[in-house]
Amino acid sequence: MKAIRLLAVLAALSLVLAACTQAADTTTTAGDGTEAPATTAPDGEETTTSAAGGEGSTTTAAGAPAGDGRLAEVQARGSLLCGVNNTVPGFGFVDETGEHVGFDIDFCRAIAAGVLGDAEAVEYVDLTAEQRFTALQAGEVDVLVRNTTFTSSRDGGLGATFLTTTFYDGQGMMVGADGGFTTIEDMTDTTICVLSGTTTELNLTARMADIPYTPLTFDENPQIQAAFIEGQCDGWTSDKSQLAGVRSAWPEDQGGPEALVILEETFSKEPLGPAVLDGDSQWAQVVDWIVLATMQAEEFGIDSTNVDTFTDTEDTNIRNFLGLPVETEEGTAPFDPGLGLAPDFAAQVITQVGNYAEIYDRNVGADSPLGLERLLNELWTNGGLHYPPPYR
Amino acid sequence: MEQTRYRPPVWRDVRVLRVVIQVLAGAAVLAILYVLWFNLTNNLRAAGLPTGFDFLTQPLGVDIPGSDISPSSPIWRGLLNGVKNTLALVVVGIPLLTVIGVLVGVARLSTNWLVAKAAGLYVEILRNIPPLLIIFFVFNAVVLRFPLLQESLSIADLVLVNNRYIAMVGFTAQPNFGPFLAILALAMLAAAGVWWWRTRRSERTGEHHHRFLWALGVFTVISLIGFFALRGPIGLSRPVLDGRALEGGYTGLAAYWAVLAALVLYTASHIAEIVRGSILAVPRGQTEAANAIALSPFQRLRHVVLPQAMRVAIPPIISQYLNFTKNTSLAIAIGYAEMTRITFQLIGNGQPAPQMIFLLMGGYLLFSLIISLVVNVVNRRMQLVTQ
Repeated sequence: MKAIRLLAVLAALSLVLAACTQAADTTTTAGDGTEAPATTAPDGEETTTSAAGGEGSTTTAAGAPAGDGRLAEVQARGSLLCGVNNTVPGFGFVDETGEHVGFDIDFCRAIAAGVLGDAEAVEYVDLTAEQRFTALQAGEVDVLVRNTTFTSSRDGGLGATFLTTTFYDGQGMMVGADGGFTTIEDMTDTTICVLSGTTTELNLTARMADIPYTPLTFDENPQIQAAFIEGQCDGWTSDKSQLAGVRSAWPEDQGGPEALVILEETFSKEPLGPAVLDGDSQWAQVVDWIVLATMQAEEFGIDSTNVDTFTDTEDTNIRNFLGLPVETEEGTAPFDPGLGLAPDFAAQVITQVGNYAEIYDRNVGADSPLGLERLLNELWTNGGLHYPPPYR
Repeated sequence: MEQTRYRPPVWRDVRVLRVVIQVLAGAAVLAILYVLWFNLTNNLRAAGLPTGFDFLTQPLGVDIPGSDISPSSPIWRGLLNGVKNTLALVVVGIPLLTVIGVLVGVARLSTNWLVAKAAGLYVEILRNIPPLLIIFFVFNAVVLRFPLLQESLSIADLVLVNNRYIAMVGFTAQPNFGPFLAILALAMLAAAGVWWWRTRRSERTGEHHHRFLWALGVFTVISLIGFFALRGPIGLSRPVLDGRALEGGYTGLAAYWAVLAALVLYTASHIAEIVRGSILAVPRGQTEAANAIALSPFQRLRHVVLPQAMRVAIPPIISQYLNFTKNTSLAIAIGYAEMTRITFQLIGNGQPAPQMIFLLMGGYLLFSLIISLVVNVVNRRMQLVTQ
């Protein structure tokens, strides 16, 4: 634990020492924001778009980004540093074989597949709730995919840029099935366990404004679990999805999932999604469109099992989306939105990781122990909130 | 005749060089600090992060267990509450660990085989385990296994134990509390007078003064008379469980007791070694001389051995006090809301990390300097007394 503290302190210190070049990089990128992304057709024909002033336009190989931002850094490194959780079953968890698995983990893999063409080129950096933004600020991780709630103060005060929400969640309260609590109003004078440094903690404070209670804060879910099992706290509050994850993996000798009840009330909005560091809009766009690609694929009905069957499709939208050659005045070339990625990045994401529905179902949905319904996480076409902008 | 005094050239003049080197070294340190500061503020600004301390007046946003501070209070009050909680560990812990440490240290030198070995076992086990592990052990294996809240263990209605709180009987002021305080002050004065009288008498007659016993006796008698005359100006407040809420007495969160117990036991093992070593450092001849003038074993320890041993022991004991104070930051591991816990909690909730950690370091520095100052005053008095 001291080592973890130390890490956080070092992360802060690295702002002092190491981040010199880092910040210089980001400012340079921001300053050269008008630099033209150059694109190259696969048949060797170069199509160069020049910048507004015409100066500084460069010609680079296909897929290689202009500039020296995070995208170039990741591609040069050949792997993605993904800041994740390792204690929430279903979202970010280390399984018995030592592999990271979960909903958030799959989005790390999707980003790696889109940027590097290889879903396995991810280095996972396990972070606690308290460490995550310091790690992001210090550039220790390229992207934070760690069930992180999008809030104004995090966006404004912590230097984070939040991208498309991958999971619409809300906070709930889990209690023992035999505890006699049916609503949060019942919970006067209780002790409630909560993770430190989370929006959950702030929401709990707001929800319990008129109810006397004692918060018991810990750094990690396993510590809360130990305290909860020993009866040190009456309730465990967190995002409902997280609670469902914990509940699904509740030890059998403690009664298994049936020993716990998640109260009906949802008392906050928790839009969870990936975040990157402020000041590198190119990298933010790349991550964003890769995340959106999983949703767009679901909307098109493309998944990892049938993506090969779309190679002959006549639908231009799908051809654009998958980076298949389309007729243009200059001949046939795949559509390149100019994000600095290979034109077939969406195809790579879907082939290697799957579309949103596949990611959802295997980690937290119907095919998982959590069994969460889609609800707000349905596509807009099914009454949910996921509405990917067009790929054109 | 002309007197020639050789003066070396300036660049080889030792007196000049000394000053120049010190000035250069000082300038270099300042330059490094400036570069670090400049780099930090610059990078914070470039990343769009706050560089000042304005955030301290923002609302806290969270509840702190065991305090009445509302979430809308400013952040600095939350931090001060962290300082208070650290202080609660230090103020209770240091006297406790000193007493345990001295007892165990003396016990290790006992001629009783069982006592000496038991003390040795205690020291060797605790001294060689990292304090963080001891904290985890005490919390997870001892405190968490205490009875559930609903099945709290009550010891004669004086102490209430469960795995959330340990509450002890407390005192409450009754109507006549003010006059009673005045009587206590009077008793103190009387005791001081008796002390002075016994000392003077002893100087005149050569008889033993027994001034401590006399003063204590006078103080006790006067305060007892006052206590009964005012019909109990102080009442007892017993800890009672009302539903799930604990009322009356002094209540401490389980985590507080776990950290306190773990760190006191750990640090006491170091104190014990210091005490043992210091006693052994008093030359054997001193003990023999004390025996030769027929001092009792207690007098020998009190007037001959301990005063000399304490002179050796105090400096290393100070550093153990400082270690104890700094180790309280490990309480973060089990969620006790001391300085470090609250600092990291606030960082997690979006407050700027560099500034918060700067404040935290300053807080511990202040704690350590104050403790050093206090103990150094004691140390200086010790030295003077024996000279």
